[in-house]
Amino acid sequence: MDPQHEIAEIQAAQGDSRRFTPLYQRYFSDIFRFILRRATDHELTADLTQQTFLKAMLALPKYEARGTPFRAWLYRIALNELRMHWRKRKEVVVNISFLEAKGLSDVVGLPSEDERMQPLALALGRLNAEKARLIELRFMDGLSFAEMGDVLGIGEDAAKMRTHRVLTTLRTYLVQRA
Amino acid sequence: MKQRYHISPKGHKEPTEAEIAKYRDPKKLIHNYQKAQQLLHKKPIYKDPKAFLVLLVIVMLAYILSERANDSEQSEDSDTTEQFETDTD
Repeated sequence: MDPQHEIAEIQAAQGDSRRFTPLYQRYFSDIFRFILRRATDHELTADLTQQTFLKAMLALPKYEARGTPFRAWLYRIALNELRMHWRKRKEVVVNISFLEAKGLSDVVGLPSEDERMQPLALALGRLNAEKARLIELRFMDGLSFAEMGDVLGIGEDAAKMRTHRVLTTLRTYLVQRA
Repeated sequence: MKQRYHISPKGHKEPTEAEIAKYRDPKKLIHNYQKAQQLLHKKPIYKDPKAFLVLLVIVMLAYILSERANDSEQSEDSDTTEQFETDTD
């Protein structure tokens, strides 16, 4: 997707809400999958996705393109919707496939064998929500550090540094368990 | 809120494009957006001059009525006191 073309589309949608449809069509799947990874239920995911796009449309006049993809801005809104949904819950279960966890297990130096995944899941569960979010965005959603920064409202360097710190913490938890 | 992770061979079931397309509804989005815009731009009652006047008249009427009710109660009280005094005389 050509960034200039996308900026033109965003500007058109800022002037006329009906022209938001191409952006909605393009990013619906991405946002749906992003929410589904954390919400598990399709119906709930559909509601939260629709709510995300509604909030995006309402906030679009204030949107400023700052070099990061529009997708990251939508992820940020989606994450806020999820946080609001989770507010009343005591526990959230995140389902991860071996394939998604492989990148993370490689980075923390775990052999990606089935039996070694359980300690990784437990170590992830020990992280607080803010730290866990960094790992999810990087390894499960596959976001760049710049996109992560945009989603979390921090700079790219801060996202990079914090992620490395969390990875160190994860390694410590895994060593403690071993 | 506590977050728990479950790592399994399949993880969560990835939906197909066809499954996602079922939930894609741009018309509904535009409709919801227009509804939300109407609600957002709805003038609060105290900022609408006509509604404000109606509200003011209602409040004034309520005040006048309550005052009159108070007055009549007081005059009834004083009437009974006077009657009681004349009776005892």
